[in-house]
Amino acid sequence: MIRKLVIPKELGESIEVRLLDWVKTEGELVNTGDAVLEFETDKAIVLVTAAQAGALRRCFFDAGDWMKPGDVAAWLSDQPDEPLPARGDSAGETLEVTFDVT
Amino acid sequence: MPRLFFREAIARAIGEEMDRDPRVILMGQDIAAHGGSYAETRGLFERFGAARVRNTPVAEAVTVGMAAGAAAAGLRPLAFITYVDFLMLGLDPLVNYAAKLRFKSAGQLTAPMVVKATAGAKGQGPTHAQSLDSWFMNVPGLTVLAPSTAGDAYGLLKSAMRASDPVVYIDHKRLFPLGGIVPETEELIPVGSAAVRREGRHVTLVAHSYMSVVSLDAAKHLAAEGIESDVIDLRSLWPIDWDTLAASCRRTGHALFIEEGQEVCGVGTELAFGLQERVAGLRVARLGARRAPVSASPVLEAHMIPDAKRIAQCARDLLRRHGSVPTEQR
Repeated sequence: MIRKLVIPKELGESIEVRLLDWVKTEGELVNTGDAVLEFETDKAIVLVTAAQAGALRRCFFDAGDWMKPGDVAAWLSDQPDEPLPARGDSAGETLEVTFDVT
Repeated sequence: MPRLFFREAIARAIGEEMDRDPRVILMGQDIAAHGGSYAETRGLFERFGAARVRNTPVAEAVTVGMAAGAAAAGLRPLAFITYVDFLMLGLDPLVNYAAKLRFKSAGQLTAPMVVKATAGAKGQGPTHAQSLDSWFMNVPGLTVLAPSTAGDAYGLLKSAMRASDPVVYIDHKRLFPLGGIVPETEELIPVGSAAVRREGRHVTLVAHSYMSVVSLDAAKHLAAEGIESDVIDLRSLWPIDWDTLAASCRRTGHALFIEEGQEVCGVGTELAFGLQERVAGLRVARLGARRAPVSASPVLEAHMIPDAKRIAQCARDLLRRHGSVPTEQR
């Protein structure tokens, strides 16, 4: 299954965040508990950690890009070689993640 | 042009002004090693040192009083007040000393200082979330500035820090989580210049600070119904850019004044009166917070502060009352 990594809407609607960097790169396997990316809000640094395993397949933003809650930041797949849908498809389930805020 | 967080635009403006003028000092709660309550002084303590970036105790009267004295003695202090509500404690030195100093001394003494405060409702309740902007407009000798974008925060704060008399500069809490374009090279925004954020022919929406953002949203709703709005962001509450406001009002004939503070003796009331003196036949309406303290309950807070829906309804009512709804909408 293709899963999407979504910037959490719980951050609020009127907020923007800036991608600091990807911890994983496209094609890399992600184990449960692995950090995937780090972004910055106006006050905090947020480390996003996968709560389930998969493979990081597509990153839709680069370091320094601005994102909003609800944006799909990446696609992951359960199996590393699953075919990907066309860009723009609202692919699959939302990946379970945890957020470490500092 | 770079896109920065609101706080980064502020830090950049302050850093540039401190580089430029050694008389600039900062005073406020948690502004030194902690980097500011909104992270807006991050890096400045490390860059300019403890003599120029000074933590103060929770004692706003002392902070503003020391800033006024330092300004009169030749420095250019920027005093931080975490919540504008607590500037009430500093009003005596600000109003009775700093604002009057040039007048009382026949120009022999001045107080070139900035009080930078943060206002607005974002869940903090009755004593940490007020918008008191019109209070400061009432004081002769004070300049009052309130940006709504990161770029304006940068340009207005720089102008404030070069002013020859005291300035009250007010940020809104809801602006901090937003990013915005800030000019690559130094650009000051002159005091007393409003910005036209959107152009339309039917009604003028006048707002400042975060209500400019909300008014732009309301203008989109109105446009979908065929009502085109001029949206004017005041930026400077005193002095007022009467020329920009009057030019828009002459074109539209209808003005709605929006603010997060109280309507009574509010910014909109002053502007409506001043514009009716300047623009014959201008039809006006005003919209501010409902007459109650700001609530800590998110539901009640949202109920009392203007939102895009209420602004759009007020604009519709204003046009309807005077038979001015665009014909295609009647």
